[in-house]
Amino acid sequence: MKRHFIRIISGLAALFALLVTLGLGAAPAKAEATYQIATDSTFPPFEFANNKNKYVGIDIDLMHAIAKDQGFKVNMKPTSFNSAVQSVQSGQSDGVIAGMSITKEREATFDFSKPYFMSGVVMAAKPNGKITKLSQLRGKRVAVKTGTSGAQYAQSIHKKYGFRIVTFDESNDMYQDVLTGNSAACFEDSPVMKYAVRQGTKLKIYTKPTLNGPYGFGVKKGHNKKLLRMFNNGLADLKANGEYARITRRYLGAKGSSDTTSDRTFMGLIKQNKGALISGFKQTVWLTVVAIFFATLFGVIVGLLGVVPNKFFNGLSTTLIYIFRGLPLLVLALFIYTGIPSLTGQKIPAFIAGIITLMFNEGAYIAAFVKGGINAVDDGQMEAARSLGLPFGKAMRRVILPQGIRIMIPSFINQFIITLKDTSILSIIGIIELTQTGKIIIARNLEGFKVWTIVAIIYLIVITLLTWLSNWVQRRVRL
Amino acid sequence: MNEKIKVKVHNLIKTFGDNQVLKGINLEVHDNEVVVVIGPSGSGKSTFLRNLNRLEAPTSGSIVIDDMDIADPKANINKIRENIGMVFQHFNLFSNLSVSENIMLAPVELKKASKEKAAAQAKKLLAQVGLESKYNATVQSLSGGQQQRVAIARALAMNPDVMLFDEPTSALDPEMVGDVLAVMKQLAKQGMTMIVVTHEMGFAKEVADRVVFVEDGNIQEQGTPDEIFNHPKDPRLQSFLDKVLNV
Ligand SMILES: Nc1ncnc2c1ncn2[C@@H]1O[C@H](COP(=O)(O)OP(=O)(O)OP(=O)(O)O)[C@@H](O)[C@H]1O
Ligand SMILES: [Mg+2]
Repeated sequence: MKRHFIRIISGLAALFALLVTLGLGAAPAKAEATYQIATDSTFPPFEFANNKNKYVGIDIDLMHAIAKDQGFKVNMKPTSFNSAVQSVQSGQSDGVIAGMSITKEREATFDFSKPYFMSGVVMAAKPNGKITKLSQLRGKRVAVKTGTSGAQYAQSIHKKYGFRIVTFDESNDMYQDVLTGNSAACFEDSPVMKYAVRQGTKLKIYTKPTLNGPYGFGVKKGHNKKLLRMFNNGLADLKANGEYARITRRYLGAKGSSDTTSDRTFMGLIKQNKGALISGFKQTVWLTVVAIFFATLFGVIVGLLGVVPNKFFNGLSTTLIYIFRGLPLLVLALFIYTGIPSLTGQKIPAFIAGIITLMFNEGAYIAAFVKGGINAVDDGQMEAARSLGLPFGKAMRRVILPQGIRIMIPSFINQFIITLKDTSILSIIGIIELTQTGKIIIARNLEGFKVWTIVAIIYLIVITLLTWLSNWVQRRVRL
Repeated sequence: MNEKIKVKVHNLIKTFGDNQVLKGINLEVHDNEVVVVIGPSGSGKSTFLRNLNRLEAPTSGSIVIDDMDIADPKANINKIRENIGMVFQHFNLFSNLSVSENIMLAPVELKKASKEKAAAQAKKLLAQVGLESKYNATVQSLSGGQQQRVAIARALAMNPDVMLFDEPTSALDPEMVGDVLAVMKQLAKQGMTMIVVTHEMGFAKEVADRVVFVEDGNIQEQGTPDEIFNHPKDPRLQSFLDKVLNV
């Protein structure tokens, strides 16, 4: 029996190693220096996915132009702002360009390039003219986006003007909060706010940009000195040869790259974003399938460890279930993706980190009901099997498990559906699955209601299909 | 019955926590002998039987079956169990398997027989317990009495030397009891060594070579059915018999 377990566990380890290598192999091999550059995925006009689902924006274009000028290669990795910053600190990325303001605080952990853009924070509010000045914010709520210079600015003046701050992860959610009247105003970098207004957000900018917004390209303090030097040299070249001006004009000029004119009906939105939605959907399905596979493997093994006649394995099983069921999925994902690499220095691709997260979390739930299902089988069944001379493993396989599995099937179906839904949480580590795709599309067109409706319907369709499939399997198993 | 000793239990003690359930049992069972164990509820009869095939591990003492000490932790308990059939109060048929699969599982899994041989044997055993027609039936479709007879057939499929019965009829409706007892009588007649815990005093009188009275974790008295039922000496046995015979 024990030998069996060792075989199963080493099999699992081998499979896992294979997956990790496959995932790592998917990253481009570097013959010449290819730098991994982290960026935000939803910060127009600095970085956003255009309607062909390609990342564009001032930061992106600038980075590519500098790389070309200086003769190195870059691989842009769009994720959320927070995980972009963390991925540089944990060594997952070599540098970050994400409309990131150079601040005293950040200089403690980052080395910055020369400022490549002078931004500045503005206040925007509903255009009805009720709030037009900072002094009118007393006692009101003000919305900001996490980690932005707008948030910092708000923090620095909220005592003086007596307002409360609420924080959002996405620009669009912040604008919505002002539009619905929950917040009186928001603080945002002026180019971003201008872009949003031009995209049709019904807000008005009331203040002049503050004079404290130099954006810089950042590397981990004390690392990648060469990359930083090349960035500065390239930036100087681009400014001299007019390329810099062309790039900024592309996004901030009078004409700009706006698509306000495009069709904003449901059908229009689906048509424009078909490619992005399909690839996000595929990623969600792929994540779900791979996660279910590993979670089931992990869960069944840990569940069985909970019922073998061995105190040590029983304790191990209980502990694993306790830890991984107890941890919020979000915390686990961030811990695996950014926590562990910052300790070990070993990069983990987001997809692999996502699968590990789901394997542990969903697997712990599976382990619990596998254990419960087996324990629900009458003890007399095991005793009768053992009294015939069947070893524990054979009795388990031929008598107990077939009965236990029948009890577990509804829980499995339920867990598969939960896994599908939980993949959405992995958008936090920058996996561009369906939810992250939604966020990215909204960052560009700010059609929160319609895009989330579309995304929600896609989820419901998949869940319905999954339920049908499970019911079909369940019927087959009963026969 | 001959003189060869099949089962030898020496000073068997079993405790659960600080509850000493068996307090030093000594018993020898001869080849072909039928021993019926009687005694009040909670006296330790089931516990005694379950120690004999190590469904419970003895706390101390020795149990030697066919010259193998089963209380020795190094003994290959699975091999030993193949030679000891057990029949439970609640039948415990495998509910995921059909009647014939229940009987064939152990012989096939333990490589005692090919599928074909095991199937032929299952047919024969079902005939022996009067249930040929139930070969393909599901467990759920059988009555309690039928289930218990299948359970006996299942235990016999491994060709055991000894059969243990723990109150095989006490979960049955009265009209089913006779069929099961008939199968057991027939087994006894064929020379099977049997240890039977039961409240069926009629069966004990008719079939037992020896009756053993267990009370409070000890064998208080043992003897032929005539000695136990017609001339009981121990006052506890007398009052026990008063209770069970005068219902
Ligand atoms: N697994 C166990 N853990 C703790 N105590 C037990 C266990 N099994 C039996 N006992 C205790 O041992 C004592 C004897 O139980 P046992 O089942 O052997 O009695 P019995 O003579 O078979 O009674 P009955 O005629 O009711 O079946 C009882 O007090 C019971 O509570
Ligand atoms: Mg009992």
